[in-house]
Amino acid sequence: MSAGVTTERVVALPLAELPPDTSTTVKAFGTTVAIFNVGGQIFAVGNNCPHHGGPLRHGRISGTTLPSQPYEYRYGREGRVLVCPWHGWEFDIESGRTMFDPSMGVKTYEVRVEDGEIVLMRQRRHGNP
Amino acid sequence: MIDCDVHQNLDHVRDLLPWIDPAYRDFFLHAGFDGFELPNYFTWVQPHGFNRDDSVPPDGGMPGSDYETMRKQLLDPLDVEYAILTGEDILTVSCLPNPQLAAAVATAHNRWMIDEWLPRDSRLKGSLVVATQDAERAAEEISAFGNHPDVMQVLLPCANTSGYGHPHYHPIYEAAVEVGLPVAMHVGGEGLGINPPPTATGYPIYYIEWHVLLIQCAMSHVVSMVCHGVFEKYPELRVVVIEAGVTWLPTLLWRLDTDWKALRSEVPWVKRLPSETVREHMRFTTQPLDEPDSRGKLKRALELLDGLEDMLMFATDYPHWDFDRPDLVSRRLPESGREKVMSENARALYGLPARRVDAAVTEARSVA
Repeated sequence: MSAGVTTERVVALPLAELPPDTSTTVKAFGTTVAIFNVGGQIFAVGNNCPHHGGPLRHGRISGTTLPSQPYEYRYGREGRVLVCPWHGWEFDIESGRTMFDPSMGVKTYEVRVEDGEIVLMRQRRHGNP
Repeated sequence: MIDCDVHQNLDHVRDLLPWIDPAYRDFFLHAGFDGFELPNYFTWVQPHGFNRDDSVPPDGGMPGSDYETMRKQLLDPLDVEYAILTGEDILTVSCLPNPQLAAAVATAHNRWMIDEWLPRDSRLKGSLVVATQDAERAAEEISAFGNHPDVMQVLLPCANTSGYGHPHYHPIYEAAVEVGLPVAMHVGGEGLGINPPPTATGYPIYYIEWHVLLIQCAMSHVVSMVCHGVFEKYPELRVVVIEAGVTWLPTLLWRLDTDWKALRSEVPWVKRLPSETVREHMRFTTQPLDEPDSRGKLKRALELLDGLEDMLMFATDYPHWDFDRPDLVSRRLPESGREKVMSENARALYGLPARRVDAAVTEARSVA
């Protein structure tokens, strides 16, 4: 058997059950995945915050203040920042990376909408047995 | 696990109306803009909010105000054996200019806790909040309610107008020793009401400065209580420092011990190494436990003071934003002290009963 990539798919829930600006969780890929509808765009991330395991599904979606010069508040990334409901760690909801260290983050999943269903995708690399 | 810092809350302070001394009822209903308010924490504001976003009860009330939410989110899933309730912004009664009003509000809060919280669940244990402006009045409060079997300690705010060694506070210690309760101080009231600025360099600008430097008050009280000889005067007194963290403690005591050797003649009533006195008389809750980049560093920091494992008591700080998870904290502690910190030190301090043998375990044993 040769090395390769397998794409796993999980049908999560009907899009109609996740109206804009709501969130939910589903069991998928052996874990709990938080799914967000942000103004019609769907994002999926691991539900457990990598810090203390806070339930990201309950996190607020917002923008945030961008790195700036001292005493300057510049707001940006509206609708792209997921804030952990416990300790306030901020994640880019698309990449899953934290705002304070891009080497840290939460797992994200590719999302497609097929025939009105939200489908989560995960790519797994595997090598020779 | 025994959780030494759980915040039960009111939806609004006016909910204390049924318990307030009638002489103060008009304050509650008509004072200020819309009835009485406690000094609030809106001077330095946490940008994401003071509470966990997922701790709002189903009725939309204040986090900590609904027992069922607390049970489902904290007591049951985290297997809490006992939760020491510490109130919420009621600690700021000690920042009010009016001592009589402050004491009346504290009394109403204590009566509310005794009536509404302690009978609900045998895991819930209470703290008696006293207003410190009038220490004699606070002592009366301790005598009146301190013998309640589910009241575990007297509770003061960390911020105040002087260090807790000052003779002003001694009637509180005398009354606490009399009823056999420890005196706890919980971070609170820094820079609010009649209190001095929250840091030794005045008013910080940002919440992050305020929050990081909250430990200054706790450090001051540790040094103050030792240097004033409080534990020489009240040898049975035990003091708990809540939510001020712990990693600063070993090196503060190094400094205090070092200075004492040279300066003991100024405070001759301090008869032994300050660190020994602190080890015997003071306890510190773990939260918020610092998170250096490796567990080894934290363990080494906690090993800098001999016997620290006998002085620490676990706390979550539920439902606040910086709460600590027991399993993660336990893993980060030196192994030898885990059980002591997670439950046994608190059990010994508060005189809580030994752990009941789990029913399933008993059954398994009887089958075997």
